[in-house]
Parts: sequence; C-alpha cells; structure tokens
Amino acid sequence: MTHKPKILLAKVGLDGHDRGVKVVAKLLHTAGMEVVYLGIHQTSEAIVEAAIQEDVEVVGLSSLGGAHLRYAEKILGLMRERGLDVPVVLGGTLPVEDIPRLEAIGIRAVFPAGTPAAEFEDKIRQLAASSRERV
Amino acid sequence: MASNQRSEQGDELLRAYFEKLERPSTWSGLPTKPFYSPADASDLDYRRDLNDPGEFPYARGVHADMYRGRLWTRREVCGFGSARDTNQRLRFQISQGVSGLSIIDDNNGSLTIDADHPMATLEAGLQGVSVSSLRDMEDLFEGIPIDKVSVSFDISGLDCIAWMAMYVAAAEKRGIDPAALRGTVQNDTLHFQFCGYGNSCPVDLGLKSSVDIIEFCARRMPRWYTGNANLYDMRENGLDAPQEVAFGLSLASAYIGKAIDRGLNVDDIAPRRAFYCSCHIDFFEEIAKLRSARRIWARLMRDRFGAKDPRSLQFRFGVHTAGVSLYPSQPLNNAIRVAYEALAAVLAGAQSIHTCSYDEPIGLPTETSQTLAIRTQQIIAYETGAAGVADPLGGSWYIESLTNQIEGKAQEIMAEIELQGGMVAAIKSGWVLREIESAALRRQNEIENGEKIVVGTNAFQTERETQTPGGIHESPAGQGEALAASVRELRRGRDQGQVAEALQRLHAQALGGERVNLLPALIEAARAYATLGEMMGTVRIAYGQPYDPMGVLAPPRL
Repeated sequence: MTHKPKILLAKVGLDGHDRGVKVVAKLLHTAGMEVVYLGIHQTSEAIVEAAIQEDVEVVGLSSLGGAHLRYAEKILGLMRERGLDVPVVLGGTLPVEDIPRLEAIGIRAVFPAGTPAAEFEDKIRQLAASSRERV
Repeated sequence: MASNQRSEQGDELLRAYFEKLERPSTWSGLPTKPFYSPADASDLDYRRDLNDPGEFPYARGVHADMYRGRLWTRREVCGFGSARDTNQRLRFQISQGVSGLSIIDDNNGSLTIDADHPMATLEAGLQGVSVSSLRDMEDLFEGIPIDKVSVSFDISGLDCIAWMAMYVAAAEKRGIDPAALRGTVQNDTLHFQFCGYGNSCPVDLGLKSSVDIIEFCARRMPRWYTGNANLYDMRENGLDAPQEVAFGLSLASAYIGKAIDRGLNVDDIAPRRAFYCSCHIDFFEEIAKLRSARRIWARLMRDRFGAKDPRSLQFRFGVHTAGVSLYPSQPLNNAIRVAYEALAAVLAGAQSIHTCSYDEPIGLPTETSQTLAIRTQQIIAYETGAAGVADPLGGSWYIESLTNQIEGKAQEIMAEIELQGGMVAAIKSGWVLREIESAALRRQNEIENGEKIVVGTNAFQTERETQTPGGIHESPAGQGEALAASVRELRRGRDQGQVAEALQRLHAQALGGERVNLLPALIEAARAYATLGEMMGTVRIAYGQPYDPMGVLAPPRL
C-alpha cells in the first residue's frame, strides 16, 4: 500500500474567506491525501499544536486577509521554538511581490489563487515525501 | 530544430484558425442554442410579463426614465488602516468623481471586537477600516458632508447595529438630524452564517438586530435603506445565477417576514429595502438574471406579503462586479473583465455599481487601480451610450428566453427552500451551506478540467509576473499596534461612570426581549464612547451568548 501524505490545513487569524481552503481540502482528499482541516479563526499556537498532535507531514495555511507575512512569521517562529520541522505552504490572495518574502522567511511554497490543482498537489506530495525521509 | 519549431507553430495556428466554441452553454450551465427566434419567447405576454420600465412586474426596470432620471450611484468599496487613512481615500475618491461612498470594516469589526483585543492586533485595518468607537466614526467622516452624500456601509454582522448607532451619534454631534441621512447599511446578518463569521453573529440575535434597524429607520431615518440582501457574497462562494436569485430573494423574504412579525406594515418598510448583487462574467446570463429577479420579487411582494406601494414591489439593486471572476495572473486582464461586468450591470438597470479594481485578487486597491475602476464606470456612463435607454436588450429573443429560464429555475429552488420551512430553517439545518460548498467544488472542477477557460490562468499562461502593475497597497509596519494603542488611550480618557451607566442601560434593554429595539440604548452608549466590543458584548451576554465571540475576554462587571 502506498503511503498517504498527511497535511494540516487551517485558516489563521480572523479572515473568514474559507471557500478556497475548503475546496483545496476536498481536492487533496480526492487526490488521495489525508487532510486535517482545522477551520477558520485558528490561532498560530493552535495550528502548531495541532500539527504536532496530528503528526502531519505538511502544514498548509490559507490567507485572504492580507496578514499572510505576519502570521507566517509567527507560526514558523513557534514551530522552531517547539522543534517542529515540517514544511509549511501558503495559499490565497496576496501580491506576487510577497512570494519571495514568504520564501525568504521559510515558507516552502506559495500558491496564489488560480494555481492549478495539479501543481499544488505535486508540490505537496514532494514536500510530504521529503518530510518523511527526514524522520 | 528550427524547422521542427516552425512546423509545431504551424499546427498550432491551424488549430487556432479552425477552433470551435467548446462550451455552448452559459456560465451556470444553462444550454444555449445557436440562435433564437420569436418561438423562444412566444408565451410572453408583454403587459403581463414585461411591461414598460417603471411598470409592474418591473422586468424591464424600476424607473420609466431610468438613467435619464438619475445615473446609477458610482461608488467604490473603501476601507483600510485607521479611520483617518480611510477618510483620506474617501476624499480622494470624491475628487475623482464618485457619486456615493461605500465603506467596509476590518475583520475585527465584522466580529465585533475592538482593535486592542488580543487576537485583533495583527488584523486591525487590514481587510477594511478599523472602527472601535464613536471617535473613529467621527474621524472617518470628518470634513465629509454626510447630510448630502449617500453613504453605504458594506457591513453585515452585529457590527451593523453598532455602526448605525455610532453614525447617528456622530451625525447628531454635528447637528445633523438623522432623518436627513441618506445611505444604506447592508444588514444581512443571516448571510454571515456562510461567510466565515457565523459564530460572532448567531442567527436569532442577528435577525433581531436586523429588524431593530428596519424598525428604527422606518420611524426615524426615512431616507435610509435598511438592508441589502447580500446575493453577492453567496454567488462569490460558488452559487450559479439561478441559485443567486433564489437564495437572495429567500433571504430578503425572511427579513420582511420577521419585520411584519414585529408589527411593522409591509409598505412602511419594503420601499427602503434593496439588494446587493453580483455581476459575473457571462454577459447575457447576468442581464437575464437581474431582469428575472425583478419580476419574481414584484410578484412575490404582491402575492405573498400583500404589498401595495409600487416601491415595495421594486427590486432595487446595487452591483459588485464579481471579485471571484478575477485572477492574480496577468492582472490587467481583470480590468477588461470588470468593464464587461459593469456594462452588463448598466444594461440590466442597476441603481448602484462598485467596479472591482484589477488588483482585487491581489490585495487592497491602490489609488491607481481604484482610479481605473472609477474611470471604467465613467466611460460606460459618458462615452458608450449604454445608459441612454432603459432595458435596451428587452425584446431580444435570447434575453427573454434566458430570463424565463432563470426565473423558472430560481422559482423551483425557492419552492424547495419553502418546503424546508423557509430560509432561516434552511440555514439552521445546514442545507444552504452544503449547497454552497458543493457548488464551489463544481466550479473549481470546471476550471481544473478545462471545461471553463480562464484566460491567463488555465489557458494562454505566461511566466508569473514578479511585480504588480501599478504597485501594491502596503500596510505600514506597526499599524495594528498603533490602532490598539489608540483604543487603549480612548478607554483611559473617557468618563468611565457614564460608559458603565450606558452599558447597564443597554444590558437591561437587551434583557427586555426581542421586541425591545436596542438602537436608542446603543446610540446612548456610543455617545459615551463605549466601544464596539463593549456594546455588542453587552448585548450578546443578555442573549445568552459569550461576551467575546473569540472566547478570550471576560465580560466586565456591569
């Protein structure tokens, strides 16, 4: 039996735009992944805690409210503090100018709205595999 | 190699030359024929089903003279940073020729928490303007003649009633009679259940606050529109055109029914109700959709609610061009999409239009992108000639046939909703959310499998840009901290006794039952500079809800 990549999806902060993340959750599930979707209004702390508890291989954040850089920084910092080394990806509404900034602070892949499902599925599969190898 | 490339290019050119239309149906999947003829609209009776613009059932528009009587209101949703930041942008918009203002609050506002809430700082002023008290409301409208300009609050949760209280208090401080205020509050608390803010706005309390606004305005603010059923947000979440009409009209009926239960007369309230619609990318379908909505609403108001005043029967609507039809890749393409959508809105007879900026799927608009959005409306209004004649597509066999089809489908869905006990019951049971979620997945799959072409996204792609044309809106570092500090400073500087007294009175009123209108007590509290979070938290605990919708703050002792 092939391994099912396991990803945690969450909306961090107070942004309520959740159409995208719910569709992504369903697409990843259909593509054969194990998806844990935490829902809206998650704190950074709750996301990191859930990633540890659920032992996921990738963390996926959805942001359409403009706070992506601030929350990404906070979550990656908390993960370092807790010794959690799992790749984090981020999708949603954001300017292309922020993609290198997000990558510079350690976000492994950024998927702006409109990214084809095949592209993010491949990338997440790859990251999950690299995550497993390190363990 | 070079000759290989040439032959590949040749094949591509041939394919392009002979390319056929792949999807002969509308955006919503309604099948279309190669052409339409009188037979496709033969069962239409002109007087009964269409009639002249301004005549029942208003299929062709709510005014006989349409834009010759008054152009549509040109407004651009606006809100970011502090009230002062947004005030500056509103003044800029006025200088660029908008004819009305439209304001949106940030996530904190939608959830009715203040900028100094522990979870609020990172978000303050990001997705809209940060307003935590009357002081912010005063700053927001400083120097703007609110007794003359029409102001729309693009706000829908429990923040609506608090904003109304703060706006009335701000007007009265300036010596303006609330009766002179002209504008709209969206006030569609029900639709918050499927827009990601449901927890902060429980169905029953939300409805109660919506009806409080309707009742208060019927008595005190005759020029104010007391609510827009928000069809737009539901459409953005994935619904198709017939569903947008059906869900929207069912929502609107729920408020009318609830207001009548409160003892209000339908003709005292319905003339000040309106609709907030999407205008998506399928040009003819959107025009037909809006025409069908007008016809259904007129008949529904007459037959179900017994409305007599012609204004009660009229489906008046603002349009927000479809944000979800816009994509971040090749951003300037969005300006073209918006122009078609806005043109459709005008041909459909919209009363008010917000055109999205081309950077809508990227971030908050810049002055550059927002100016282009305003210019788009102005070009339609002044150059294209599209505004000169009411319902110019009326009588087109295709448009009439499509209007009938959408009307039929929408009515089937509305009957299904009624069978479930109406929209409130369908929301509470989770049915509405399930319909929305499955529609969203369907839409995505149509794009993933190429059934729907999105230029620059799943076809005609180019390498991803590294810069947004026109630049991006950047929120200054430390914005949230500054906004939080400003609320803390307000708390220190106000008369605490007066605040506590006003909140106690509000609490007592809120315990008085659903029929006790909370606006007078809220206006008092706003005047004492009680904050948004304090006011709505006080109301929430009286209704058995947590003081803080985020579950962090403990209620103050009252």
